Amino acid sequence: MSDLALGYLSFPVLLALIFLRAPIGLAMLLCGIGGIWMVTDGTTVFMAKLKSEVYSTFSSYSLSIIPMFLLMGQFATHSGMSRALFKAAEAWLGHRKGGMAMAAVGACAGFGAICGSSLATAATMSRVALPELKKYGYSGGFSTATLAAGGTLGILIPPSVILVIYAILTEQNIAKLFAAAVIPGVLAAIGYMITIAIYVRLYPDQAGTHPRLPYGERIRALGAVWPVLLVFALVVGGIYNGWFTPTEGAAVGAMGTGLIALFSRSLNWAVFRDSIYQTATGTGMIFFIVLGAGFYNGFLALTQMPQELSAWVTGQGFSPWAVMVMILLLYLVLGCLMDSLSMILLTIPIFWPVIQTLDFGMTTEEVAIWFGIIVLIVVEVGLITPPVGMNLFIINNMDKETPMSATYRSVLFFVGSDIVRVVILMLFPVITLVLI
Amino acid sequence: MVHTLIAGLARLMALLGGIVLCTLVLTVCISVLGREVNDVAHAGYLGPLGPWLLGLGIGPVTGDFELVEAGIAFAIFAFLPLTQLTGTHASVDIFTAGVGPRVNDFLAAFWSLVMAVAIILITWRLFAGMQDKLRYGETTYLIQFPIWWAYAASFAAAITASIISIYCAVLRFTGKRLG
Repeated sequence: MSDLALGYLSFPVLLALIFLRAPIGLAMLLCGIGGIWMVTDGTTVFMAKLKSEVYSTFSSYSLSIIPMFLLMGQFATHSGMSRALFKAAEAWLGHRKGGMAMAAVGACAGFGAICGSSLATAATMSRVALPELKKYGYSGGFSTATLAAGGTLGILIPPSVILVIYAILTEQNIAKLFAAAVIPGVLAAIGYMITIAIYVRLYPDQAGTHPRLPYGERIRALGAVWPVLLVFALVVGGIYNGWFTPTEGAAVGAMGTGLIALFSRSLNWAVFRDSIYQTATGTGMIFFIVLGAGFYNGFLALTQMPQELSAWVTGQGFSPWAVMVMILLLYLVLGCLMDSLSMILLTIPIFWPVIQTLDFGMTTEEVAIWFGIIVLIVVEVGLITPPVGMNLFIINNMDKETPMSATYRSVLFFVGSDIVRVVILMLFPVITLVLI
Repeated sequence: MVHTLIAGLARLMALLGGIVLCTLVLTVCISVLGREVNDVAHAGYLGPLGPWLLGLGIGPVTGDFELVEAGIAFAIFAFLPLTQLTGTHASVDIFTAGVGPRVNDFLAAFWSLVMAVAIILITWRLFAGMQDKLRYGETTYLIQFPIWWAYAASFAAAITASIISIYCAVLRFTGKRLG
């Protein structure tokens, strides 16, 4: 069998292993090792690779940003800021139709600014917002759907762990990717709020309001969230303005949210220990996948498969837009099955060379950033798409009284809003690129 | 009894890794602060205070980059045992959801065995890597500390990861569920 054929064949094999419940990182590692073994006809190459590459992956300065962002998110979870954010958003929006749900979305967006993961955002905000939504007569399914959707803002609004991985894979500037994610992130929050406004007009019995608050009280509630703004401005602004490297920014962010948690008196030894455990398992999981992906992509590079595939696609003379839409549809399907990080690590090394050769009338850097942001949104749509979206399960688990089917029905509205946004961002790349 | 011991070991390693991670966060923050103060002082914005601060040696931490690399490698290896024990590795279970508990138990046991083999392989190669670094006496560029130290720390953590992955595989095969 030719090397190229091995390269193409490895992908279905890999998917088969994954669908047989192999841990994703392990499946990629096995395919990578097996593939290198066959291509180089011996064990020498992958044994040498194992000797140096495991350590160099784990000791990578640019990847060290990941445990630091995870730690930052853990401290943020315990900082009491989730409650303050919800109270502030509630004070401004709570009197509108569906206002409490809008407040939950707004608070998720705020929390996303100090947390780089969508599951953590969804879980943390649910703890605060679900009881409140219930109290004001919001139906269970609508509440859980709102929070599951709101959680996806955690990954879109920088800092974002997945954007870091994407930046490393495509050799792009992390600061520019963070900047590019800001407007789509805000658009996402606004889109969700519009969705809520439409929903409560269709189903007026599923949502209540609370009395309008005087402006003095609103300002006071907003004042309580200044630490969030400060940390966000320092971390994202600092990275963007080049005051420090992304890794340094992550360290400053972890320190910042750690201090907020400390001053809010919620950081005792037990909470600290728990934060470390959560950071540890999150980091362990991510790095095992990164490691596996390193070997798998190393093997693919040996077979020349990504270059051949992109040459083939270019040779067929497909319209760039058709290729883009095909890839996004594939992401939408995969996103329903797999976590977003594994998917990015698995597919970007194959798809990015293809996208890179297509002519969208932009520079390579612009295409990389624009494509990255859209892919990020699409894989996150998978997280809230029934019947398998992971965010749905996490949130639904936190609300024992609401059947899964109720969550499914309501969340389709948010999925619709996501799809509209993806189309808008695709048609108008300038929205994504204006800030870089 | 054994389980308590193993679980304790995994948590201890995670905590050690966490403490190293926090120390790195602190070091990097101090370094950033030192560098900024140093820049501002050099630019003369601080007036007479500037030279005084510079005289104290305020500046970035030398070799912070190298410390992060060595420390984070240990931290991540130290995080693996707990990841292993709690079964937090990402996987896709939707296609096997319908095939019944017997098949699923077998798959879980099988993959935990493969995982154990992979981690033992990684640990062994890490040891070989350490021997190389030791033999050539390689040191880092700025602080000149021997790279094999970092390898040795990572290797110790990887050994724990191996022990725990074997334990997980045995547990799965004897039919006990992980807590």
